[in-house]
Amino acid sequence: MKKIFVVEKEDNVGTAVGKLIEAGETVATEGRVTGLEVVAHADIPYGHKVAIRPIAQGEQVLKYGLSIGSATEDIAVGDYVHLHNVESNRGRGDRYAEEKECAS
Amino acid sequence: MTEFLGYIRPDDSVGIRNHVLLLSGTLYANKICDYIAGIVPNTISVTHPLGRCQVRPDLRMTRRFLANTGSNPNVAAVVVVDHFREEGCTAEDIAHDIQEATGKPVATVNIRGEGGFVNAMAQTMRYAADFARVVSDFRREPVPLSNLLLGVECGTSDTTSGLASNPATGACADAIIDAGGRAILAECTEWMGCEHWLTERAATPDIAAQIVAAVKDLERRAMESGEDIRGSQPTGDNIAGGLTTIEEKSMGAVKKGGSRPVVGYLEIAQRPASSTPGLYVMYGPGHGGESISSMAAAGCQALVFSTGGGHTSAHPVMPTIKVTGNIHSYELMQDTVELDVSGVLRGEFSIKEAGERVLAEVLATCNGRLTKSETFRDLNSFAIHRVGVSI
Repeated sequence: MKKIFVVEKEDNVGTAVGKLIEAGETVATEGRVTGLEVVAHADIPYGHKVAIRPIAQGEQVLKYGLSIGSATEDIAVGDYVHLHNVESNRGRGDRYAEEKECAS
Repeated sequence: MTEFLGYIRPDDSVGIRNHVLLLSGTLYANKICDYIAGIVPNTISVTHPLGRCQVRPDLRMTRRFLANTGSNPNVAAVVVVDHFREEGCTAEDIAHDIQEATGKPVATVNIRGEGGFVNAMAQTMRYAADFARVVSDFRREPVPLSNLLLGVECGTSDTTSGLASNPATGACADAIIDAGGRAILAECTEWMGCEHWLTERAATPDIAAQIVAAVKDLERRAMESGEDIRGSQPTGDNIAGGLTTIEEKSMGAVKKGGSRPVVGYLEIAQRPASSTPGLYVMYGPGHGGESISSMAAAGCQALVFSTGGGHTSAHPVMPTIKVTGNIHSYELMQDTVELDVSGVLRGEFSIKEAGERVLAEVLATCNGRLTKSETFRDLNSFAIHRVGVSI
């Protein structure tokens, strides 16, 4: 079974670290969350992310135990996680005030 | 208590190497330094193209990089070689700064003052040979790990960097800090988007404000030359590789600094004034040579260089230990890469254990084990940060 790597316990995404995972394939987690089996809903290329827990719209997407952005739609376990369903919380002129608050 | 075997210097800093440094003050002294380093044992050369026709802020930067490199605890004695005089960055200025900071033996050679190249070669060789004998009497002694100032860097990063080699490097930095030591994280362009993860750990509000200001300043400088380094992040290549947001990219990089409190902010190539254990963050660009040279100038005795694609980077004065989480890169580049932690990704060992392996390699290097790059003296990564134009 192909593996997806989970950096920290609280992460809700894992990263494909081997050959392309094909839609419908069952993969197992490795790293800080081990042995959790997930059915991929889409092709997941090497280095790309798949949800290992449900993430509601507006919730934080967690990798490294830290937020890497917000879900822009409900994400189910096994969904491909990338630009189409995540947006950055940082480095955004349109949210400059909020960012300033975070930094202080 | 973990110890390592180091050379205790007059200023009580501890070196893990016992080099006589042939330090070039300028372009025209480089060859003499390189030639003598090829002849006299235990000498190394540091050369560069700067030190002449620079605007004042650049001359000050060059002087700081050179003097602080000479002040690194791995250097036992220094010969500064120069040509003519550039007010504000003469061989005497550099020698003065090193002596004042450390009390170590320093000599100067001026090519014109010696009566030309041949005489300057001879004089440099006399000094280097004398120093080589003096420092050959120095012996390693056991000292606590708290004496270590570790640099961390990443270069030619790929998917495995953020997942394996950077977290392993961070775990090593954490272990050194927990033993009372210090670590330096530079490359502030890579803090962009995850400044908050550093500011949350900042020991004082001032440090937090400096972290945010550092990113903004480098961004402004890049913008003035027409490069928008934020708007284009993550890059198309990053996105194709699976990175979704700037914070995801930056966190993967900043992971190599570990998770301990940020206890100090340093200007580029600045020696920390405090010995408080913890992580120090340093202003500086992502340019690998400038970045690791700034950490060596700050006094780091060793550097862990985390790489995805493999790398040959190595600093002349600061042993550079290379770690990869990419098995293919390790197989391709194992003549220069010390450690393969790709087992993390295959579930063979944890990040914590990978961190222990990195620490074990760092300790062995501190005790005198040569890095792979040291074995063939490919010590290629000295570079001085530039501020302005040549004049």
